[in-house]
Amino acid sequence: MNSNFDLNEYIMHHVLNSHEWLLPFVSPIPLPGVLTSHALMVLFGCTIILLLFLVFYRKNERVPTGLTNCLEALIVFVRDEVAIPNLGEKDGLQFTPMLCTIFFFILTLNLMGLIPLFSTATANINVTFSLAFLIFVLLVFGTLLRNGLKGMWHALIPSTLPKWLIPFFIIIEIASILVRSVALMIRLFANMIAGHMVIMSFLGLIILFGWVAFPAIFLAVFMYCLEVFIALLQAYIFILLSAVFIGQMYHPDH
Amino acid sequence: MPPEISQHLGQVSAGAGIGLSVVGMGLGVGLIFASAIQSVARQPEMAKQLTTLMYIGMALVEGMALLGVVFCYLALKG
Repeated sequence: MNSNFDLNEYIMHHVLNSHEWLLPFVSPIPLPGVLTSHALMVLFGCTIILLLFLVFYRKNERVPTGLTNCLEALIVFVRDEVAIPNLGEKDGLQFTPMLCTIFFFILTLNLMGLIPLFSTATANINVTFSLAFLIFVLLVFGTLLRNGLKGMWHALIPSTLPKWLIPFFIIIEIASILVRSVALMIRLFANMIAGHMVIMSFLGLIILFGWVAFPAIFLAVFMYCLEVFIALLQAYIFILLSAVFIGQMYHPDH
Repeated sequence: MPPEISQHLGQVSAGAGIGLSVVGMGLGVGLIFASAIQSVARQPEMAKQLTTLMYIGMALVEGMALLGVVFCYLALKG
């Protein structure tokens, strides 16, 4: 048993943000200025998305093949399964580009975290906060802009409510808007950080106990496969719940 | 209480917190999947809608439980 190895330190070192870029086999590269490893990963993710859609996406093909076909299938999935059923025909088409952007952003960052060269930017609460804050702004100011103050009132208060319950309901509904956005933030963050912690603790067991912990490799591989599924599922859940919440605020009568 | 005992008590309770969160998550996700499977067995034509609902429920339960796990882990570390 390796007694001078700190499992906690090992896990935290790999999961948390740092001012150096961790690479396999070579010593970490220090990053300049305010740039941290997770900020670098966000920049890489954006570059990958831009490359995918500006360079590799061939729009002029009559029958899409290869990568174009794959991306198109995902976009059609977001439009037909997420946006239109929850937001209605008109708003759904209007919201599809935004939902697609968030979906591909989260998906790319989640999947990048599973490649040894990169770290998971969505396991940082600042990244998920900014994504959830976007949805919060849409829930409040989007409804105000689209439906006006009266529409906002209808979205918060059901029309059959007794008069004396209205003050309580305003408080509850304002709290529920906040809680929905915070839950979006916490869910993505906790799911991504927990999965990586589990993989890292299995791998740490090998360093801690040596050959005895050989079966931990298979457990780590199993968790890794589960993480690929969770990366897809969390990106889907994030946009699905955003669409459901925005739909509830925009069409209170449904 | 001597300081070293209280420190170990903190670690033990943080570990127990992780276990309790996982128990809650297991119960919640198990119930959701059980009822979803039962409903699909009764009405197979509803399968598509039920899958979406199942994933929403699973994500809601799992997110809160994982929050407990992560915070307990941070308490264990700090």
